[in-house]
Amino acid sequence: MHPTIRLIVRNLTISINPGFLVWQVIFPVIYIFVAGFAYTALIKSVPFGNITLDYPAFIASGMIGFNIMNSTLVSGIIIWNDRRHGMFEQILVGPFTRTNYILSNVYTIGIVGIISAALITAIGFPLFFTSVQFNALTIPFLIFASITGSILFGSIASIISTRLRSSEGFNVIINTVFLFFAFVSTAFYPASGAPQPLATAFYLNPLTYLVDIIRAGIFGTFTEFVMIEMIVLVSIAVALFIVAIRLLTKLDL
Amino acid sequence: MSAITARSLHKSYGTITAMDGIDLDVRSGHIFGFLGPNGAGKSTTIKILTTLIPPTSGTVEVLGINAVKHPLEIRKRIGVVLQQPSYEPNLSVEKSLEKYGMMWDIDRKIRKERSEELIDVFDLNEIRKRKNEDLSIGQRRRVQVAREFMHEMDLLFLDEPTVGLDPTARRKLLDYLKSKVKTGLTIFYTTHVLTEAEYLCDEIAVINKGKILAVDSPNNLKNTFGQEKTITIHLLERHDGLSGLLSGISDCIIDFNTGTNITIQSSKSEAVLSQILQILIENNISVEDLSAMPTTLEDIFLKMVKDSNAPNN
Ligand SMILES: Nc1ncnc2c1ncn2[C@@H]1O[C@H](COP(=O)(O)OP(=O)(O)OP(=O)(O)O)[C@@H](O)[C@H]1O
Ligand SMILES: [Mg+2]
Repeated sequence: MHPTIRLIVRNLTISINPGFLVWQVIFPVIYIFVAGFAYTALIKSVPFGNITLDYPAFIASGMIGFNIMNSTLVSGIIIWNDRRHGMFEQILVGPFTRTNYILSNVYTIGIVGIISAALITAIGFPLFFTSVQFNALTIPFLIFASITGSILFGSIASIISTRLRSSEGFNVIINTVFLFFAFVSTAFYPASGAPQPLATAFYLNPLTYLVDIIRAGIFGTFTEFVMIEMIVLVSIAVALFIVAIRLLTKLDL
Repeated sequence: MSAITARSLHKSYGTITAMDGIDLDVRSGHIFGFLGPNGAGKSTTIKILTTLIPPTSGTVEVLGINAVKHPLEIRKRIGVVLQQPSYEPNLSVEKSLEKYGMMWDIDRKIRKERSEELIDVFDLNEIRKRKNEDLSIGQRRRVQVAREFMHEMDLLFLDEPTVGLDPTARRKLLDYLKSKVKTGLTIFYTTHVLTEAEYLCDEIAVINKGKILAVDSPNNLKNTFGQEKTITIHLLERHDGLSGLLSGISDCIIDFNTGTNITIQSSKSEAVLSQILQILIENNISVEDLSAMPTTLEDIFLKMVKDSNAPNN
């Protein structure tokens, strides 16, 4: 086996545990069903592009983006744990290069991101199947969103993990940042109903772009605006990725 | 054959000089002990030899390979137990052995056999299902050391591996290391437990402040630096004029400590002792207790380090 693959197997082994599954699968599912149906009483329908979605379909599709973002916490946690528990040094005196280590984390995020997205898509499907417009772009859009989203948020998580050593700091900061992304976005409610400043803030948030792209893929609402969102998302992802790799390459021993 | 060859290694961290011109020649199939007080530069040396950090200057060859140019080639053939703990918190003991073997690309069947063997050798059977984060410090250290034997290697670096181990575990590890060396392994071992170095090592280097003070076999070190004995005399009561009475005796260093407790170091201990006793008897000074001890490796170590710390050095 290639060294990077061995590290990916190791990353998946240490990350996939009951706590992670609850966070990554059970929590989103409960949220989709409970919140989706509870809020339907408040939010009857959501205009989206030139179509109208019912709220459960809206939130289930938003949850895919949220889940891709959350899954990237994995990489932050791996890097941070490896430094705290001495595995970073141990791996680097083993039969691996630093590039092997960095790439294994990138691939781990990608794998977890794609699997999470697929899982939530499958679970959410009963909720949005009436509105789904399957087309040639659906699958490519979902894969694009998984990969770009994973790299973008994975880079953020990695950057935070390389900057912090104390456990309180790491957990507080990473949770605050991700909570902010989650709630100041169109993942759970539409920008159209929100007050103007909030609606503007939504569009300073990469998660909004991510869920817009996912919805465009699922509901067949591909517009020029979505195209711009894709370009913006890729640019941010690439920029953050470069910063993350720089920091990881220079990480002190 | 030489397993490690290093010439004038220097390492500085900003203004701190951790290694100040270190030369090393470690022969294959031997256990090389690296002794020194806290902050001497032991771990820094290990980090450079294991390619974790580059030296500021100097040359290193490990297993005949240039450590700066081809670090990966070296890493594939060495085992390393660093001083700091290293573990996967949420894996059980047996799983962490197994996964470590996987990381080294060891065949699944061999992994299974080896982890069973190591669980036995390192007494891990009772805790094999327990997660690393739930282990005591010594237990965790045992797992960390055991884990390194999951893969083959030509050279093993151990940075104070026995810290935290109880006497039984300690002795078991040392004997296991000895048995491994018989099969051709070379070991680079740092410690400040002198008895351990004496029991284990074929050759010992004493290091302080980034410089090697002496390199030799434990016996030769004792012969070269340890001809002298330490004589301890307990007097029944203090005797003020004593230092004047004993001042004429040559070839020894007398330390009057508390006044009733005198230690004398000398390489001509017999002659010195008889002179002292004569003076004591002539002056009616009663001795409560007297002992003469051969100098231990520990004394030599302490003396070397003390001498090298002296301001004129
Ligand atoms: N990352 C670092 N940054 C700055 N100084 C360092 C660093 N690592 C080590 N040093 C300094 O280098 C010197 C040698 O340290 P080293 O860890 O090699 O000592 P040691 O012999 O292993 O000591 P100990 O017995 O306590 O483990 C010390 O003065 C230490 O403070
Ligand atoms: Mg040390």
